[in-house]
Amino acid sequence: MNIFADTWSYLTDPANWQGSGGILARLLEQLLLTGTALALAMLIGMPIALWLGHLGRGGFLAINISNVGRAIPTFALLALLVSADWPGSAEFGPYGRAGLATLIALVLFALPPIVTQSYVAVREVPGEVKESARGMGMTGRQQLFRVELPLALPLVVSGARLALVQVWATATIAALVAGPGLGRIITDGFYRSNYPQGIAGAIVVALVALVLEVAAASLQRLADPLRASSGRGKPLSEAGHTLQEAETG
Amino acid sequence: MHFRRSIAALASLGSFFLVTACAGDDLNAEDPDATPQTSAGGGGEVAISGQSFPEAELVAAMYTHLLEDAGYTVDVKLVDTRDVYMQQFPGQVDVVPEYVGGIVDFLNVTENGADADPLTTSDAAESIGNAESLLEGQGITLLEPSEATDTNAFFVTQEYSEQNGVTTLSDLEGETVTLAAAPDCEGRADCAGGLEEVYGIDIEEVLPLGFASPQTYKSVLDGESQLGLTSTTDGTLESQGLVLLEDDQAIQPAQNLVPAVSTEFLDEHPDVEEPLTALMAALTTENLTELNGRVAVDREAAEDVAHDFLVEQGLLEE
Repeated sequence: MNIFADTWSYLTDPANWQGSGGILARLLEQLLLTGTALALAMLIGMPIALWLGHLGRGGFLAINISNVGRAIPTFALLALLVSADWPGSAEFGPYGRAGLATLIALVLFALPPIVTQSYVAVREVPGEVKESARGMGMTGRQQLFRVELPLALPLVVSGARLALVQVWATATIAALVAGPGLGRIITDGFYRSNYPQGIAGAIVVALVALVLEVAAASLQRLADPLRASSGRGKPLSEAGHTLQEAETG
Repeated sequence: MHFRRSIAALASLGSFFLVTACAGDDLNAEDPDATPQTSAGGGGEVAISGQSFPEAELVAAMYTHLLEDAGYTVDVKLVDTRDVYMQQFPGQVDVVPEYVGGIVDFLNVTENGADADPLTTSDAAESIGNAESLLEGQGITLLEPSEATDTNAFFVTQEYSEQNGVTTLSDLEGETVTLAAAPDCEGRADCAGGLEEVYGIDIEEVLPLGFASPQTYKSVLDGESQLGLTSTTDGTLESQGLVLLEDDQAIQPAQNLVPAVSTEFLDEHPDVEEPLTALMAALTTENLTELNGRVAVDREAAEDVAHDFLVEQGLLEE
């Protein structure tokens, strides 16, 4: 019990949140790292995956190549990148020590969920809808942007949401190469037998992950094109209603 | 039919595992009792444990060769941390290749709490004297410590040393440096804390890159850090163009190599003392560093290096 009490007092001591190595500064560093990695992964992964989904081929290759990113332990990749001549462990602007290496490792880690979900999302748009679009004389580009993409959007966003939470939690590994982020609070705590600090760091990471998850979930709901019609069951049951009334009346 | 046969096969496989599991249990249970049954001296079983870093592995291999030569059946189990083997020592473990400061600090902290006054000084005999009652209470006897010592040490590049005329840590007084070190270095009296308070070195930042890790070497070689943390017996420095700075104001506690033996085991097997004491006398910080280098740089097997050394020193016949 004692250790939890100590963790609580660590978390509630304002001194631990301030300063250059404080929780707040580390949290902002990690948010920056996560945001950049996610944005880059979306920029790289989404156009390719969406286009392949539209064409309906090449997806097997794309998904499997990006899945290699899932099979390689991110830390092993980071260790390799850091010990190489490039990108190495040099300071990289606001991303701190080994910033470039950490970003590359995290982008590769974020790609699989984004590529897989985006590809499947477009691929799974119902055939009838695609056919109607083609029947209306839409070009391939119009089909993708006006029909497939709006329908696929919730699933595409869910891929980004998955990646966001995973990258956020994984970004703590930057600490293992003396990089920025909340991982430093955790590793410093454990290596110096200051367990309350290590646990406090882990708790902050978990809480922020939850907040990000909730925020991303509401974004995903906003992206649903059928959200306005508030459930597809309603018109049907209304129809049933009138039918019943007709029978009894 | 097929279904029934596979059930039978599964059942027999299951009982096979059960039998082997029981056999394993029996062996383990007998192990601690096995040693007292053997007669005093002249062989029997001996269990060695200790930490699993390369130097400890090398020294454990020397112990093994010597005790096997004395007619013992040696069982070696090296683990990651001291906390693990100290649970079984003394008792199931009979002999541990130790370091004076390491074991004394461990006993002091576990017995008297993390904030206890340190018993270790920079002198090995004094440190052991301070811990006498603790060792007695635990049933541990420390044999004669070696002259060889493995403490924290700090290195710079050969180039930096020559350009700035730095050969001791005192030469760095007033300098501002970045230190690549183990993550627990900050604030410790035998690490960053001692460098700042005793030597007056201004440490701008401690990069937590590990104790004598490739990342630590790289950081110093790249010029990101000026100072790196390793041990006095690091055999890889010379080949990397790195040099140690002398701890001229003695901030390091004595970490001389020393055999820690279960007192009960030693009473029953007094003949283990002689070869181990002879080994301690043969080891020096210099030859241990060289031997470590053969393992780390030349990639020789620890057992072979240990064997060669013992033969060379006349402690073991070819």
